[in-house]
Amino acid sequence: MSASAPPPACSSAAPRQPQSFGRVHQPRLRVHWSDRIAHAILLVAGAGLAIFLLAPLAMILMKSVQDRAGEFVGLANFETYFRTPALLRSIWNSVWVSALVTVATIPLAFTFAYGLTRSCMRFKALLRNIALVPILAPSLLAAISFIFWFGNQGVLKGLLGETQIYGAPGIVISLVFATFPHALMILVTALSLTDARLYEAADALGTSTVRKFLTITLPGAKYGLISASMVVFTYAISDFGIPKVIGGNFNMLATDIFKLVIGQQDFAKGAVVSLILLLPVAVTYIVDGYVQKRQSALLSARSVPYVPKPSRGFDWAMAAFCWYAATVMLAVLGMAIYASFIKLWPYNFSLSLTHYRMGLVEAGIFGAYVNSVTMAFWCATLGAVFIFLTAYLLEKTRGMASWRPFVRLLAVLPMGVPGMVLGLGYIFLFVQESNPLHALYGSMAILVICTTVHYYTSSHLTALTALKQIDDEFEAVSASLRVAFWRTFFRVTVPVCLPAVLEISRYLFVNAMTTVSAVMFLYSPKTVVASVAIVNLDEAGDVGAAAAMATLIVVTSAAVCAVYHLLQVWLDRRTQRWRA
Amino acid sequence: MSAAPPDFLVLEDIRKEFGSFVALRDVNLAVRKGELVCFLGPSGCGKTTLLRIIAGLDVQSAGRVVQAGRDISRLPPMQRDYGIVFQSYALFPNLTVAQNVAYGLVNRRVGRADREKRVAELLTLVGLPDSGSKYPAQLSGGQQQRIAIARSLATSPGLMLLDEPLSALDARVRVRLRGEIRSLQQRLGITTILVTHDQEEALSMADRIVVMNNGVIEQVGSPEEIYRDPATPFAADFVGKTNLLPAERAGDNGILVGDQRFDCDLDPALAAGRALQVFFRPEDVLVRGVNGSTANSAAAVVEKIEFLGAYSRLTVRVSGIAQPLLADLSVNDLAEFRVRPGDTLRVAVPAGRIRVFEAPAPQGQP
Repeated sequence: MSASAPPPACSSAAPRQPQSFGRVHQPRLRVHWSDRIAHAILLVAGAGLAIFLLAPLAMILMKSVQDRAGEFVGLANFETYFRTPALLRSIWNSVWVSALVTVATIPLAFTFAYGLTRSCMRFKALLRNIALVPILAPSLLAAISFIFWFGNQGVLKGLLGETQIYGAPGIVISLVFATFPHALMILVTALSLTDARLYEAADALGTSTVRKFLTITLPGAKYGLISASMVVFTYAISDFGIPKVIGGNFNMLATDIFKLVIGQQDFAKGAVVSLILLLPVAVTYIVDGYVQKRQSALLSARSVPYVPKPSRGFDWAMAAFCWYAATVMLAVLGMAIYASFIKLWPYNFSLSLTHYRMGLVEAGIFGAYVNSVTMAFWCATLGAVFIFLTAYLLEKTRGMASWRPFVRLLAVLPMGVPGMVLGLGYIFLFVQESNPLHALYGSMAILVICTTVHYYTSSHLTALTALKQIDDEFEAVSASLRVAFWRTFFRVTVPVCLPAVLEISRYLFVNAMTTVSAVMFLYSPKTVVASVAIVNLDEAGDVGAAAAMATLIVVTSAAVCAVYHLLQVWLDRRTQRWRA
Repeated sequence: MSAAPPDFLVLEDIRKEFGSFVALRDVNLAVRKGELVCFLGPSGCGKTTLLRIIAGLDVQSAGRVVQAGRDISRLPPMQRDYGIVFQSYALFPNLTVAQNVAYGLVNRRVGRADREKRVAELLTLVGLPDSGSKYPAQLSGGQQQRIAIARSLATSPGLMLLDEPLSALDARVRVRLRGEIRSLQQRLGITTILVTHDQEEALSMADRIVVMNNGVIEQVGSPEEIYRDPATPFAADFVGKTNLLPAERAGDNGILVGDQRFDCDLDPALAAGRALQVFFRPEDVLVRGVNGSTANSAAAVVEKIEFLGAYSRLTVRVSGIAQPLLADLSVNDLAEFRVRPGDTLRVAVPAGRIRVFEAPAPQGQP
């Protein structure tokens, strides 16, 4: 140091403490009692995620190396598995079907997204909403619908000739329908991010349209394309409802798990298949995480959004494609709804409420619908609050530096775990009577918890994005004014993030209404949910009632989305004075 | 302890490490009651880290912070006594201006009437008496920053911390607010620390400036001292424009820059044979009244003239000196001497204006 203020008067009075040997101890501030509350909640949140995410996964790992009596058998289960050709074929089936679905869905979704972002066609909002409709339905709605279109008694069976819709063909087209909106959302975002100035620069240099597409559009959407492919592949390989309903004798990993566990009660082999299913999902998850990181580095706050210019031929071509796709989607959705009102397919096509009245209410299955709404309600309220609060504490409070990364990891992990695997882990864990949480088994609470954990990651990321947009210094300012963190949380953070909280809540509600895989193992006779009831009705051959139940789910999800939309509009109006 | 220390805020041997990177190296500083001290330095010099340590937002790796005689080194922010203003204003967007200002008063058992009175008083103090019912987004940047200042003053803290408060504002607003903050601070007599990378801001506002670089304090002094009498080559170069040239010693009262000899006062402590650096400001290069017999004068060829309003900055070359020199000429001088690029002028640097430093060790060595 070359110069500094004269040493303070008191420094001579207090002899300096000698430095401790070895590693320098990083001193810490004393913790204020209000921060201890934050730490306590964070501790509980992390512990909750550990119990309801890590422990079930650990149980699967454990079961896979035990025999039926619970003795450790090393890799014996894996050996028998790999010596069973029928099971091995499922791996291959799962992989090629998922790959085919990805290869089919991505170009379709990309073209649709391209039309929405780069053309001047009309009714874009309407088209977009139609394309997102499959999200409102359980995936198996598509399977049911295709059975009515192309099944043994389907209206268009003749078109297929000798080919059967049951099996791989039905699975693939149903999955394309179900995954389309997920890919579309990612690709629309990716295509909207490209900087308009790149195109202006290219135009100034006289670049051809094709060259612009190849050198600007595609590279700009590269990460979006990879990310969308990963999402579609993961969805396809871990979906249970579609292969269950339309798969016939075509086996995939997800259906194998179900057959092994529920049909044969062979938990060990079920665990082995779960681990095998976990593998490709985990790989795509890691690739996606890597890609996301690269993409966020590409973003710049200064980009100028691209505004398409009218071009007659191109706009018409785009409109034609998008309307064609939208019509097909409406036909798929519409068929399930239409079939639910048909008296007796294919003999009596008169419209009636028979399936709703006889098939659901009088058969005592309507309760499943009530259960679904109840479960969705709790996920959308308690689940959303838990996720947002945890994200807030992670992002905006201080202290517990070694615990935070652990909780962060647990928050992003669920995306890499297929619902079937999570659900199976839950039974392994909670079926044991020695488990103090055994009382949860078969309860509504476990369905709510499992579903919230299953859809945790997307919700968590939504919360993080919103929280990151708030000034980081709010907490510092509050502390300097000696205002405890929760006051600022309730008075500022929550009101400012309310749109994101609503979005999380809506997302959880809709997914809780439509999920099959995670809850397939966890329901009790009292807590059957609607999507599970569809599987059971279909298995019993009552496809009409299954369609009726699927229709109820779609209508409910759509109505709830409309309510959330109105809430957002109302909120925007109320808060536009300060959002300015 | 007999008497309370005269200093309000004392930093003792503050050290901050991030992994193997040392952000602050044993910083010692005493801030007197009621003074405005500026931490000035380039980005990454540790000035903001030091402010955050004082605020309890970062924790020092070693060292003590004493405020008003109380050791606050380990206290969390909520138990310290300061108001803070950030570059981003950090106003709560969903609360009105009045609610923002009253934010710290609400849980201090201040009655509603008193609270409203205090808010009105503070808004008047920062010159925005009628803005109480507005939302921050409806105000300009400068107005928002004034509200942020009012909010931080509401609880009458003993210390005010300003972290680059003007950097997000337009040049014009910045200059005006500079004066307003300074006069407000002097009226209230509140001890204030201002972090800035803008030397003009530091020179115009501070009672004392702390020049920082690479985690150490290079110099502490009044704006005049820092400008006129920089203690290190860094301080000389960072504050104001300067000519900083390599030199070597030539006798007891002179140095050699290239082939040119300059008379100047030499610190006897500077050992002979060591590489030196000389420093003088562009405005210390004289043209008026200089002739062949003037001490420390030389012929210079004008290379470039940069018009800067009240004065012009000349780039000139003196034979025997590799580096071009900067010289500031007033508009009047320029007109009188009719200087054009390519002309030759006789310039001089008075011995008293030249400062000599030992050249800093090459990069990478302590």
